[in-house]
Amino acid sequence: MLAYIARRILSTIPVMLVVAFVVFSMLILSPGDPAAVIAGDQATPEDVERIRAALGLDRPFFVQFAEFLWRLVNFDLGTSIFTNLPVTHMIAQRIEPTVALMVLTILFSVTIAVPMGVIAAWKAGSWIDRAVMVFAVLGFSVPVFVIGYLLAYIFALELDWLPVQGYTPIARGFWPFLENLILPTIALGSVYIALIARITRATMLEVLAQDYIRTAKAKGLGTRPILFLHALKNAAVPISTVVGIGIALLIGGAVVTESVFAIPGLGRLTVDAILRRDYPVIQGVVLLFSFVYVLVNLMIDLLYTVFDPRIRY
Amino acid sequence: MKRRTLMQAGLAALAAPALAQPARTIRFVPHASLAVLDPVASSAYVTRNHGFLVWDTLYGIDAQYRAQPQMVAGHGVEDGGLRWTFTLREGLRFHDGEPVRAADCVASIRRWGARDAMGGRVLALAEEIAALDDRRFAIRLRRPFAMLADALAKPGSIACFVMPERIASADPMRPFGPGEVVGSGPFRFRADEFVLGARVVYERFDGYVPRAEGEASFTAGPKRVLVDRVEWQIIPDPATAAAALRAGEVAWWERTTADLHPMLARERDVVVTIPDTLGFIATFRPNHLQPPFDNPRLRRALLPAVNQADFGAAIAGTDARFWRTGVGVFAPGTPLATEAGLEAMRFDLDRARRLVAESGYAGEPVVLLAATDVPATAAMSEVGADMLRKAGLTVDYQTMDWASVVRRLGSREPPARGGWSGYFSSWAGLDHINPAGHLLLRGNGSAGFIGWPESPRIEALREAWFEATSLEEQRRIAADLQRQAMEDVPYIPLGQYFLPMAHRRTLSGAMQPGGIPLFWGVSIG
Repeated sequence: MLAYIARRILSTIPVMLVVAFVVFSMLILSPGDPAAVIAGDQATPEDVERIRAALGLDRPFFVQFAEFLWRLVNFDLGTSIFTNLPVTHMIAQRIEPTVALMVLTILFSVTIAVPMGVIAAWKAGSWIDRAVMVFAVLGFSVPVFVIGYLLAYIFALELDWLPVQGYTPIARGFWPFLENLILPTIALGSVYIALIARITRATMLEVLAQDYIRTAKAKGLGTRPILFLHALKNAAVPISTVVGIGIALLIGGAVVTESVFAIPGLGRLTVDAILRRDYPVIQGVVLLFSFVYVLVNLMIDLLYTVFDPRIRY
Repeated sequence: MKRRTLMQAGLAALAAPALAQPARTIRFVPHASLAVLDPVASSAYVTRNHGFLVWDTLYGIDAQYRAQPQMVAGHGVEDGGLRWTFTLREGLRFHDGEPVRAADCVASIRRWGARDAMGGRVLALAEEIAALDDRRFAIRLRRPFAMLADALAKPGSIACFVMPERIASADPMRPFGPGEVVGSGPFRFRADEFVLGARVVYERFDGYVPRAEGEASFTAGPKRVLVDRVEWQIIPDPATAAAALRAGEVAWWERTTADLHPMLARERDVVVTIPDTLGFIATFRPNHLQPPFDNPRLRRALLPAVNQADFGAAIAGTDARFWRTGVGVFAPGTPLATEAGLEAMRFDLDRARRLVAESGYAGEPVVLLAATDVPATAAMSEVGADMLRKAGLTVDYQTMDWASVVRRLGSREPPARGGWSGYFSSWAGLDHINPAGHLLLRGNGSAGFIGWPESPRIEALREAWFEATSLEEQRRIAADLQRQAMEDVPYIPLGQYFLPMAHRRTLSGAMQPGGIPLFWGVSIG
């Protein structure tokens, strides 16, 4: 097992290198220019050229890439072209809101979606099943930003229960922290709940049709132990896979959710950096997201062994 | 009062005896994210606005656009206008506690001159700029320049902000970071609280010495600060910004959008006003180096195709209070605005089609670069492309984000080889109050601003305006300039529009003259 984990962690190095190369190439080759953004609307092309030269952006592609790689090897993500702040500092400033939003969304979604899927499968064909499916279709179909606006309108503007936007660090108290994240969590969780609920239902339907479930019923076992101890454990592998894949979905959704609720997280940092062409920041954030994604996949693979002892690495 | 507000008020009241006086804080939503903190390296309006909180200027301009002493106590002019001696006011200090010295002013003027067109003119005319002692410096000119104080007072991007010498000596092409945001203005930048793209915090600078006399007027006069903190909250989504204002989470929103006016106007606790009579000027800039717009007859043929009301409605909505037509090369309502030559722009599409046909236009594709991420630019680009098509031109409409447009605009190649034919953009009316900072009203060809029009006559008139000694003479030259602009068509003005600001009723004294939100004289109840 340890050898497997070490192998997997080592295998992330070439993955990260490929990601770094692709991201760097796409940024340098795509239209747009940070020097032009710095110079502002009233700058002449000569001003822009002078700024580009001052920032070293006029050097050949491979020189810039080599410098980027060298910094990366030294665990240095560079500094923002615009503010001179280290990228690591900017990521550190923004990581708490995004991690908080994602963790809360995962907790909230799994807590809601798994029981929903289990009950829908148990009551397959009933109105409960149909209601869950309608909810799942809605969750997939309605964009996150629409749900966000609706929630803000109802719960912040009309009922005045929660704030419209913003973020309060957890260090300033748990309730101020939580009240800012309730609406974004529900908005972002809507797609995730739909995804997990559907997969849970489908997998549970399969498992509930197995002979050992019939045997368990024949032995007189109660519904709850059958559903949540026997059936759900056997359905857990595909569900945990979807939860893992859904992390990528969450990263994408966080960009929109953070914009709608003005949360100063990594999603907004990424979008802003892309619009400004702040290359070091984009590279740093994309590398971080890639690393997290690889790590989450590793954790899911390891979780399989917990749910299914037949799986060995 | 709503539930949550009531609950918070109740809790605050209970806690009040135990707490110190809460800080009076203005929460403000700027029109864009503050990406560059160095107001000399960048000409972005949001950076300039940030500049007016942190840094002070040697001169300010008043509501009548006249230069008034700000950091200087006064100046003397000798040797027939060739030598200007400036004396700083007493007690001026930077936010790091260091006194403001004449050497700081000299270094700041040099840095500004390296980036700004007007500043460049001052440097070109100056034989010597030198500190005489800690409080006095002198500029020796090669020839008299009566507008030197006006140049130093220039409020539009890029303004001559005074920085410590060690910072002002840095390369103006490399923007400095949060640690170097040190000014002597009325507010101190909190580098430790700065979160790029999310939050910018300023605190009242207790060491600031406002001018003793007069009233605050535009960027001139005593800048008396009535609050403890100003927090800029970057809210990129207009609907969220509007909701935050309605909920009282922010007190002041710099620029609302046309679709949200009606909703905000119905709100009892919110005031929506047009804070800046200069507004914005919508423009079309053709590329004079490449066909088809290297043809002056074709450029002139476009003038009667312009219906400025179409552009106003597309950008600012159908409520005509938010836009104005009959706009020439100078912002309406300013001293140089004139109607001279504007008959060439009387809307007549049939005439435009006829003139296009007679111009020798051979159907070459017109490559239009349209930025879709700037709402006003996107709207005027759509209307403008339609206008050109109706006038009989073949339009190749290329959409991209603004950063890509700016990169592409640098190309002087033919449109077929990655160049361009024309683009639409907005300028603050403040940039069009006179020829000094008016980058589109130049005729200096390839040495000039993007589009590179060549017009010796426009350049000669501009020079004459700088030499003019009376407003009457300036007005006469301005009228000639506008007539000439209708002949050479360096660009086409497409109208003026206004983006209202909105604020809570609890905020008083909020102003945005020239599109610059000023935080002195503003209080919050």
